[in-house]
Amino acid sequence: MVRTALYLAAGLLLGLLIHIVVILTLPLLAANNVATRLATIAKLNTPVLLPAIKPGDANPLKLDPDLAYAVCRLDLKGGPGEVTGTLPLSFWSVAVYDTAGTVLYSTTNRDGIGQALDLGIFDAAQTRLLAEQKIDIEAGLLIVESQTDDVFVVVRLAPEQPAMRDRYAAQLGKLACRNLKT
Amino acid sequence: MRFLLNLLLMLVVALAIGFGLSWYALSDGRLFGAAQIGPWIAWPRAGSPSPDPYTRAYLTRSGALQLGQGEGMQFVATADSDGQRLDRACRYRIDGTTPTATFWTLVPTAADGSDIARPDGPSGFHSSRVARANDGSVQLYVSKTLAPLNWLEITGDGPFQLVLTLYDTTLFTGAGNGDNSLPSITREAC
Repeated sequence: MVRTALYLAAGLLLGLLIHIVVILTLPLLAANNVATRLATIAKLNTPVLLPAIKPGDANPLKLDPDLAYAVCRLDLKGGPGEVTGTLPLSFWSVAVYDTAGTVLYSTTNRDGIGQALDLGIFDAAQTRLLAEQKIDIEAGLLIVESQTDDVFVVVRLAPEQPAMRDRYAAQLGKLACRNLKT
Repeated sequence: MRFLLNLLLMLVVALAIGFGLSWYALSDGRLFGAAQIGPWIAWPRAGSPSPDPYTRAYLTRSGALQLGQGEGMQFVATADSDGQRLDRACRYRIDGTTPTATFWTLVPTAADGSDIARPDGPSGFHSSRVARANDGSVQLYVSKTLAPLNWLEITGDGPFQLVLTLYDTTLFTGAGNGDNSLPSITREAC
């Protein structure tokens, strides 16, 4: 009886170990995570509008059907990245994702930005050069530091009314997404 | 023989606990990083630059393009306020107020995230396009059959979930008016 209890206790400990291994390795082993889905959609240095989600449509990224989305990919090896443009006077937000799908930075236009989106993304080395004033940037550029060179930038825009969606989406398509000239 | 039985027992216990606990942690998650307010569940660290291992595993499993912490917070309800799973055969009343946010949307979806609203109608509720009571609270109905006030028609059969997204919210930030209550979900008729 005591021996069986010991085996049960060993099973419990082994179970906890399996649990920890599953939780820690799942993000590394998953082949179809948000980053791989974004990678199939996003283009380098070009904003891509995500299709509107209609009732009944598959929605693997679990997007909000009320919002319009644009995503672009930046490779910081070619220099710091920037996403700039003017967006309608409605709610919009911007988020920078790394290749693991983690949000590195996010903000909304309610944080005093207004209509102008001027986001600069720098890797660690470029941030150091920026601090040493070896990179010239425009005043007002919102600076984000990234630990990786490959990043996705997602801009969400909320039309006030569904009828305004196409016009708002067109504004998203006009965003500039490129490497900064340094 | 006894040794083999004990060994088998140990392996069964280990696999059941190991995978069962992992499944529970990533589906319910209340003990592992998810926050629950009434029937609504959110993962507050999902949009942070350094999510904890459970949140990271949950994000991998869900595959969702999660909101950043500065953008908002998403809640999902798979059951009503009495704990019964949401079923498309029933009519639900969603009643109450929401925490401070620039706006919110409430969308009924299937488990895979696809919208189950009527194809030629709105895909969900939007906070600026609903009728409200004098105190600012809302009363929303989600059902396949006609309902009063703010009604969203859904289609199909089987379980579903309600996704409430608060944009630019003060929830979990310590700012705002401190009212972190979310609407209740009441099953009215099936």
